[in-house]
Amino acid sequence: MSITLLLKSLSQRKVITVLLLVQLTLTLALLSNSVLLSHQAYSLSNQPTGLDLDSTLTVDLNPTDDNLMSQPALGGLIQRQLEALRLIPGVRHASFTNQTPLLPGGMNGNTYVEDQEVTTNIPAVPFNFADPELFDALQMTLIHGRWLTAEDSETDSVVLTETLATQLFGESSKAVGQLINTGTVVGVVADIMYQRFSSDQYYALFFNEKLPSAEHGYSLILNVEKSAIDRVRQQVADVLRQVEAETDVLQVNTLRQLHRRVFQQERGLAILLSALSAMMLLVAMISAYSHALFHGLQQQNEIGIKRALGANKTRILFEVLSESWLTTGFGAILGILASYLLQQQLAKIISLSPLPLWLPVGASVLLLLCVTIATWYPASIATRVSPAHATKAL
Amino acid sequence: MERITHELMLALRGIKRAPAPYFLTILILSLGLGIFFSNATLYYWLNNDPLPHKSHTLFFPQINAGAHEDGSREPHRILSYRDVQLLSTSDIPSAKAAMFQSAGYARLPSAEQRSPTPVHLRATQRDFFTLFDVPFLHGGRWPDDAARLEIILSKASAERFFGETNVVGETLQLGNELFKIIGVLDDWALLPRLYDVQAGNGAAETADIYLPWETAYDLSIKSNTRTRSEDNRNYNENFAVNGREGYFFQSQFWVQLDTPEQQAAYEQFMQQVVQSEKEAGRHPRPSANRLTNMSNIAEAFDARNRQLDVFALVSLLFLIVCLFNASHLSLNRYLASQYEFGLRRALGASRGQLQKQILADVLVSATIAFVFSLLVAAGATKLITTLLPSTRTLTSWNIEMVAVMALIALIASYVVTVYPAIRASFGSLSRQIK
Amino acid sequence: MITINNLSKIFRTELIETHALRDINLHIEEGDFAALTGPSGSGKSTLLNILGTLESFDSGEYFLDGQPVQGLSDAALSRLRNEKIGFIFQSFNLIKDFSIYDNIELPLRYRGFNAKERKQRIEEALELVGLQARSSYLPGQLSGGQQQRVAIARAIAGKPRILLADEPTGNLDSLMARQVMELLQQINEQGCTVLMVTHDPDQARRAARHIQIVDGQLHDSTLYQPLSQPLAETLGD
Ligand SMILES: Nc1ncnc2c1ncn2[C@@H]1O[C@H](COP(=O)(O)OP(=O)(O)OP(=O)(O)O)[C@@H](O)[C@H]1O
Ligand SMILES: [Mg+2]
Repeated sequence: MSITLLLKSLSQRKVITVLLLVQLTLTLALLSNSVLLSHQAYSLSNQPTGLDLDSTLTVDLNPTDDNLMSQPALGGLIQRQLEALRLIPGVRHASFTNQTPLLPGGMNGNTYVEDQEVTTNIPAVPFNFADPELFDALQMTLIHGRWLTAEDSETDSVVLTETLATQLFGESSKAVGQLINTGTVVGVVADIMYQRFSSDQYYALFFNEKLPSAEHGYSLILNVEKSAIDRVRQQVADVLRQVEAETDVLQVNTLRQLHRRVFQQERGLAILLSALSAMMLLVAMISAYSHALFHGLQQQNEIGIKRALGANKTRILFEVLSESWLTTGFGAILGILASYLLQQQLAKIISLSPLPLWLPVGASVLLLLCVTIATWYPASIATRVSPAHATKAL
Repeated sequence: MERITHELMLALRGIKRAPAPYFLTILILSLGLGIFFSNATLYYWLNNDPLPHKSHTLFFPQINAGAHEDGSREPHRILSYRDVQLLSTSDIPSAKAAMFQSAGYARLPSAEQRSPTPVHLRATQRDFFTLFDVPFLHGGRWPDDAARLEIILSKASAERFFGETNVVGETLQLGNELFKIIGVLDDWALLPRLYDVQAGNGAAETADIYLPWETAYDLSIKSNTRTRSEDNRNYNENFAVNGREGYFFQSQFWVQLDTPEQQAAYEQFMQQVVQSEKEAGRHPRPSANRLTNMSNIAEAFDARNRQLDVFALVSLLFLIVCLFNASHLSLNRYLASQYEFGLRRALGASRGQLQKQILADVLVSATIAFVFSLLVAAGATKLITTLLPSTRTLTSWNIEMVAVMALIALIASYVVTVYPAIRASFGSLSRQIK
Repeated sequence: MITINNLSKIFRTELIETHALRDINLHIEEGDFAALTGPSGSGKSTLLNILGTLESFDSGEYFLDGQPVQGLSDAALSRLRNEKIGFIFQSFNLIKDFSIYDNIELPLRYRGFNAKERKQRIEEALELVGLQARSSYLPGQLSGGQQQRVAIARAIAGKPRILLADEPTGNLDSLMARQVMELLQQINEQGCTVLMVTHDPDQARRAARHIQIVDGQLHDSTLYQPLSQPLAETLGD
C-alpha cells in the first residue's frame, strides 16, 4: 500500500498511533542506553588486572585472641600459617600481606619524591607489607631493578608499580635508586589492580616489614595449580585452624571472585537494565502482536474487500506488516532522539560514555525485527480472511 | 449490592469472552507496576526519614582540622579525639555523642576454651541512645561518658550469648577484657542508618555491642571503617595516649540542636573553637566549618546509591511504557466491543449505567493487576538484591506501602481503562449503529 | 466468457453439510446481461462468489475467458479477479476510512497502473456514475444510492470483462434502485458482461437473460446450450 494511504489510515487512529509511538520511543531510548551501560560495565570489568585471577586464592583472616594481635606473636603465627599452607598439595607459593588486591580498603598513604612534596604528592596510594614470596604468590612481573629480598626486611627499600613510578618520575626506568618519602626505590613491577577507587587503580607500593598489628586482619595469598584450586580452597580453613584454633577465617576467595565483586554494582545494573530492556522488547512485541491481531479482526471487512478487489495474500501480509514498520520507523526516529536525551539525563547521575550513533540505530533495527516477528502471525491470520464471508451483507 | 454484583458479573463475562487480550493487558500492567513497586520500595527506604519527628534537630558538625596546611577547604569526614573534645565543650546541644564502628570477638567467660563469636561493636557515648531514640528492654545507658568496662547489648546478641534478654549484671569477655552488661536494647534498627552514612554504612546492620568511647581508646580499639593519621606517632603502641593526643582521626560526632537559635549559637561556638585553635597554632588549614543536618547527610557525603537512582528512573519509564501499552491494548479491546456499547445505548442504557459498568471493569482489572504486580515485585526484588547485595536491607513492605501500591494499581487501571471506555461508549451513536 | 461444467459446492460445518450447489452447468456469452434469481438460501450468492473466485468449489470445472480457474494459485486468482472481474455488493463494501477517490483507486493500484493512468480512469468512472464532485468525500458522508454508485465506479474503473453484482439494489429505495439499474445497463451496453443477483422480478425481466436457481440447481430459461468444450481449450495446447 502506498505510504500516503498508510499515513492516512494512521491519522485516522491518532490516539492509538500516539500511544504506540510513545511506547516505541521510550523502549528504544531505554534499549540503547542499557546496551551502552552494559558495554561500559563489560569493558570496565575487562580492564587488565595484572593478576592471575583464576589460580590465586586469597584468605582474609583475624586472630581472635588479643595476645596474637601484635608482634612478635603475630609474626610467628603468620610464619606457621604459611608453612602449613605450603604443605597443601597444589599450593605453589604462599605469602601474606596487609591488604588484598581488588578489595577496597586497606592502608593508604601519601607518596611523593623526597623534597618535592608539593609537586609530586600522590594521596592515598595503597601501602603493602610484602615478603619476598609475595612476588611469586601474585605472579608479578619485574620491570626494573629487583624485588624485595630477605635483606630488605625492616629497611626502607620500596618497590612501586609501573604506573606509580611513571607518575612520580616521568619514566618508570628512572625510579630505581631514587628516594621517596617512604624510602628508596629498589624496583618497579608491572601494574596490578589494587584499589579501584584509589587515585589510580594501578597504584601500589611494597615494602618488606613485619605487620605491626592484626587489628584490621590480614590476608594470605596463595598461588595454586588451577586444577587444585577447589580442593585447596576447601582445606584452607581447617589447616589454618589446626595451626591456631584462635583464628577466624573471614573469607576464602579466588581473585576472580573478588574481581567480580569489585564490579558488582556496574555488572548488577547492567544485568538489571538488560533484563528490563528484554522485558520492554517483550512488551513491544506483545503490543505489536495484539495490535495486529485486533486490527486484523477489526479490519476483516476491509481486508475482505481488498481481497475481492484483487489483492493477493502476500500483499495483505505486506500491508499489515508495513503498517507496523511505519509506526516502528517513526518510533525509531523519535527513539533515537530520546536515546540521546536519556543518555544526557543518566550521565548526570552516573558516569556514562557518549552514545555512538550505531547503537540507537542498531537498537532500532532490533526493535523492527522483534515487531516484525510479533506481527507476522496475526498478519498471516489476517490474510486468511475469507473474502466471500467478509463482504457478505449483514 | 445486587446491582454491584450484576456489574461485576458483566465485567467478568467481558473478560471471559476474550481472555487472551485481557490477560495480556493485565500482564503488561502488572509487569510495569511490579518493577516499579520493587524499585519504589528500595527508593523509599533509601530516602526514608527514620526519625521524622526529630531528624531536623540532629546535626553532624565538622571542623577543618588537620596536622598540615594543604589549602584544602574540605574537612575530613572523621574527627580526632581532640576535635570531639573541643566540640563537646559546649552546653548548647541538648544531646551529643561521639561514635565509631569497630569489630571484635566476644565470648562468655565460662566458655574460655570455645571459639569466640565475631561481633559488631559501636564505641559511643551515653547520649547516643537519646539522640536516635534507641529503646531499652532492660537496664539503661551509662551514667556519664567516662571509661568503664560496661557494655550494652542488642536484644539479638543477648539472646545469642545467654539465650535470654534480661542479662543485666552478667559479664561478657571482649578481647582480653571482662565487661559488665548494664543494658539490653529492644529491637531497633534505623533504616537507613543515617548516623553512619558518613562511613558508607547507611544500609549495614546495627551493632551487637555498645561500649564507652573512652574505653575504646584505652583498649586500643580502632574504627574498622576509616581511620586517618597525619603524624609519625606509632598508633600500634600506647594508643590510650597516642590515640588521644595525636592527629588520629576516626570518630563521627552528632549533636541535637532543637531550635534555630541553638543551631546559630552552636555554629558560632564552632567558629570560636576554630579561632582559638588557630591562635594556638593548631588549626593550620583554612577554617571551613560544616554543620550538616541529618536529612542532608547522604547528599553531603555523596552516599546516594547512583545505580539505584538510575534504575529508579528507568523503572519509572518502564511503568509509563507499560501504561501506554496497556491502554493501547485496552482501547483495542473496547473498540472491539464498541458495537455492543452502541447497541446498549440504543436500547436505552444511560451514560451513568455504562459508566458504572466501566467502573466495575476498572475494579476487576485493578484487583487482578495488583495481585500480579505484587508477585512481579517480589521476583524483581529478589533479582535486584542478588545483583546489588547492598540493597538487601531495603526491601521490606509495611501495611501503608502495600495500601499505597493498591491505590496506584487502582489509579493505573483507571487511567488505562477510562479513556478507551469513554471512546467506545460515548462516541457518536449514529456512526456506530449505522 | 464463462463456462462451468458439473460444478458442485458443499459447505461443511461440524454439524451439517449443505449442498449449496449441485452439478451446475452454465455458459455465459461475452456481453450478456444475465439476472440470477431464486428463493433465499438457494445458492445465488454462492454461485456468484465462485464465479468471482472469492470462493472455491468442490468439484467440476470453471473456465473464465477460456482459462481454467481450478488449480490456480492465490496470486494468480487475485490477479484474475483484479483484471477481469468487478464486484458490486448489496452492502456496498466501501472502505470507510478511505475517500471516494482512494476507494476507486485501490484496485487500480493493485493492477500496477501509474498515478496518471489511475487518475484518468478514476475520473472516467466517477463521471460515468455522476459523482465527480464528491471524490474527496468519505463513504459515510454519502447516501446509500451514492455509495452504491461509488462501488460501481470502483468495480468498472479497471475495465473488467465481467461485472458480478449481488443484490446491488437490495439496500436502496426504488428510485435509487432504478438509477443503479440504468447504470448497469449502460455499462453492459459498453460491452461488459453483467451477472446480477436480484429478488426483483421487474429487474430480472429487464435482463436479456434470466437464470433461475432453486435448491442449488439451475433452471435456465434461455436457449443457450453450454459448449462441451470451451473455445480456448480446443485451440490451445
Ligand atoms: N459459509 C457458509 N457456511 C455454511 N453454509 C453456508 C455458507 N454460506 C452459505 N451457506 C449455505 O449455502 C446455502 C446457499 O447460500 P447463499 O448465500 O448462496 O444463498 P442465497 O441464494 O444468496 O440467499 P439470499 O437470497 O438469502 O441471499 C444456504 O443454505 C446457506 O445456509
Ligand atoms: Mg445472497
